[in-house]
Amino acid sequence: MKRRMQMVLSLMLALVFVFVTACGKTNNEGSTNTGTTNGTPNVTSDVTEKADPITIRLASGDSNPSWDDMKSDLGKYLLEKTGITIKQEFPVGGTDSDMFALMVASDDYPDLVMPKGNAGKLVDAGALLDLRPLIEKYGPNLKKVYGEYFNRLRWSEDDDAIYTLPQGGVGQIYFESGGGFQLQHKVLESAGYPQIKTVQDYEAAIKAYVEKNPKTADGQPTIGMSLNGGEWQILISVTNPAFYATGAPDDGEFYVNQDTLEAIMHYQRPEEREYFRWLNHMNDIGLLDKESFVQKYDQYKAKIASGRVLGLIDQNWDYGEAENALKAEGKFDSTYARFPVTLNDTFQDHSFQGTGYIAGYGLGITKDAKDPVRLIKFLDYLASDEGQVLVNWGIEGKHYNVEDGKRVIPADVQAMKSNDNNTFKKTTGIGNYLISARYGDGVLDPTGNYYTTTFPEQIQTSYSDADKKTLAAYGATTYKDLWPADDAFPERKYGAAWTLPFETGSQANVIFQKTQDIMKKRIPEAILAKPADFDKIYDTFLKELDGAGVDKLNAEFTKMVKDRVALWSK
Amino acid sequence: MKPLTEGIPKASVSKKENRFWSKAFQQRYLYMMSLPFVIWIFIFSYVPVWGWLTAFQNYKPKNSILNQKWVGFDNFIELFQDERFYLVLRNTLAMSTMGLVVGFTIPVIFALLLNELRGQFFKRSVQTISYLPHFVSWVVVAGLVTKMLSTDGGAVNQLLIYLHIIDTPIQFMAKGELFWGILTLSDLWKEMGWNSIIFLAAMAGIDPELYEASTVDGAGRFRKMWHITLPGIRTTFMVLFILSIGHLVSIGFEKQFLLGNPLVTDFSEVLDLYALKYGIQMSRYSYGTAIGIFNSVVSILLVLIANGIYKRVTKESII
Repeated sequence: MKRRMQMVLSLMLALVFVFVTACGKTNNEGSTNTGTTNGTPNVTSDVTEKADPITIRLASGDSNPSWDDMKSDLGKYLLEKTGITIKQEFPVGGTDSDMFALMVASDDYPDLVMPKGNAGKLVDAGALLDLRPLIEKYGPNLKKVYGEYFNRLRWSEDDDAIYTLPQGGVGQIYFESGGGFQLQHKVLESAGYPQIKTVQDYEAAIKAYVEKNPKTADGQPTIGMSLNGGEWQILISVTNPAFYATGAPDDGEFYVNQDTLEAIMHYQRPEEREYFRWLNHMNDIGLLDKESFVQKYDQYKAKIASGRVLGLIDQNWDYGEAENALKAEGKFDSTYARFPVTLNDTFQDHSFQGTGYIAGYGLGITKDAKDPVRLIKFLDYLASDEGQVLVNWGIEGKHYNVEDGKRVIPADVQAMKSNDNNTFKKTTGIGNYLISARYGDGVLDPTGNYYTTTFPEQIQTSYSDADKKTLAAYGATTYKDLWPADDAFPERKYGAAWTLPFETGSQANVIFQKTQDIMKKRIPEAILAKPADFDKIYDTFLKELDGAGVDKLNAEFTKMVKDRVALWSK
Repeated sequence: MKPLTEGIPKASVSKKENRFWSKAFQQRYLYMMSLPFVIWIFIFSYVPVWGWLTAFQNYKPKNSILNQKWVGFDNFIELFQDERFYLVLRNTLAMSTMGLVVGFTIPVIFALLLNELRGQFFKRSVQTISYLPHFVSWVVVAGLVTKMLSTDGGAVNQLLIYLHIIDTPIQFMAKGELFWGILTLSDLWKEMGWNSIIFLAAMAGIDPELYEASTVDGAGRFRKMWHITLPGIRTTFMVLFILSIGHLVSIGFEKQFLLGNPLVTDFSEVLDLYALKYGIQMSRYSYGTAIGIFNSVVSILLVLIANGIYKRVTKESII
């Protein structure tokens, strides 16, 4: 017995060793050679004072599959100029909130963070540096860019520190709309470019096409419409459109009454119930992809890239990668046109209701940063006129030329940019370094050129022929023209409510999490139910929200909105 | 009143002590060899227990662990009052029990069958192929499973339709009641070969004379399996089984996390995922720790109970 026992134990020990050695591969990342000092930097700006190369870690809450690891044209240029190598880290497997929560728990921070909605956690943990003194001393360009909105960077009523540099473009004018409801160009063409204003129009166009073409050329069934509802993008693709379709702007999970500033969880609005009822109807008649709430993001993208999905309700940044694949294959008639679709004629899409400058998600420097002063100088450089042109336009003579004082993108570069954007980003690095303060689209620099490459003429040159054909049919020059004008609605005094952070671990935060869990289960259930059961499920959903304490949450959120208005109107 | 025997036990104790120390001295190399492991266990298993203190605090990472607000049992009270906790506990226990039953019987049967094979080459190939999936990440496995069970050209649905068992594709991944089964089966596919290795090794260690003797006695293959092979691996089996029972409540969450989707959360959410969502993700470290403590206490109890039952039945103990 004893002998056998020993044998078993030694066997298990051996197994343990197998594991230990398998997992014990040392991580030599830090030792990779980062210094490429062979090219002598020819500029004598502040950042280059200390030429000794350093590697900094940047944890980004948003995955960027096109991140170039400083190997792109722009990356090499910046490295040569500043000696700074950025190593980016992205959420692996889980969400950005896991990544930052674990970071706080382990008390080990990279130099820079882009925490999205998790800044509050880091601030509560004392992980972020107050950037105010650094900006005052080393950041003239940063200060200049934020300009009159500089006071919006303040953290809260009680804490006037600046913890993050918001990355939204200052003074942004929207020339293009990336959201709304999407339809493939071929669907529109075959229907003779009908009016697409309400969900009924949208449904009719899809229906007509599916009846005519139940299968694609290679024999696979056509999919009427698909939603990206299997992962966190359920918020983008399923629940946010409920705002837009019923005449409200996106305020996160809350609907804020513009006059009284009272907030309620937006699912409690009767209008939105009708929107979800329409989705339920789409499912009932078989036009909604049954896998909408089960599929992984990859599956969703693969479907779009196959060209079988006629309609989407999503944002361009979410489906763009898949659309780029279609473009790269030359299937332009399967790419998407975007429309502001509402539940019925009485609503107007409020996507572009003004917010003023949203001092929202941004970049922070952590307490573990090796050299905060050098980092702020680096960020200040990126925010300078020279830096902004660099990160937006690229390198002169390579990615753009100056002709008669105007910056022009050569045709071959533009073709790659519009048709194979993933490769473009990865090889040039343009779009990968928008980490510091910057001006938004439509702002002119001292030379009379736009800082960004998004301006009406440029947008039009980036359209494919399919886009142009569709837009011509609707008498528009950009998709944005189809939306109500920016000044159609009064500006929101609180910016956008989705930028309001809950106090971490507070009761409201717990209730919020509960309502999210309930929503993620009940909304798909209601949409996929038989139409007769829809109301029953939706009523249960609302009752469960009540049970979780949604009234308390609404009251708390109302207070937060009012506090923000008070803070910003100072 | 002086007890008569006062001096005697004292003497025997010191004698015993002496014997212990002299024996320890004799075996000093053995002790020294095991010392690193004791230190290892101490550092990784005992030192962190210090962090349990946070469960009784309202822990904020800004301050040190001693400089926190003490809240007594508040976190536990909140935990035991949350309905969701009981739901996730049910899911955890259901999935781990299913996993335990399937994850032990099938690999044993598989090992038995492999053990009976004569062709070494064939045996080795089957073994290697069967344990390869163990090295595939759950992310990939989840992708495979979702694709196989997809209604949009998934192999399983296509097969069922081809065989005229169903008319329209079934949304396997959207049906909560199927989730436990799907999870158990994918886990089985992934781990069957790997789990059977240890049993195969135990079988290889059985004295061949026993088989020869039983051949002489006229035992057939199945008799030998039943009376020699199975009893031969019983200890191995029980050690692994009892240790696995200890892990019943802490089954991790990657499989559930990756295979689950919003529609089936009522069946897919497990304790660890709950701790992640309502503890760590929301920076409620104290709440997360409370769940962890609950986990550990239940695990220890389960191991002790399992060992107790085993001891009573077989008069042997592994602890």
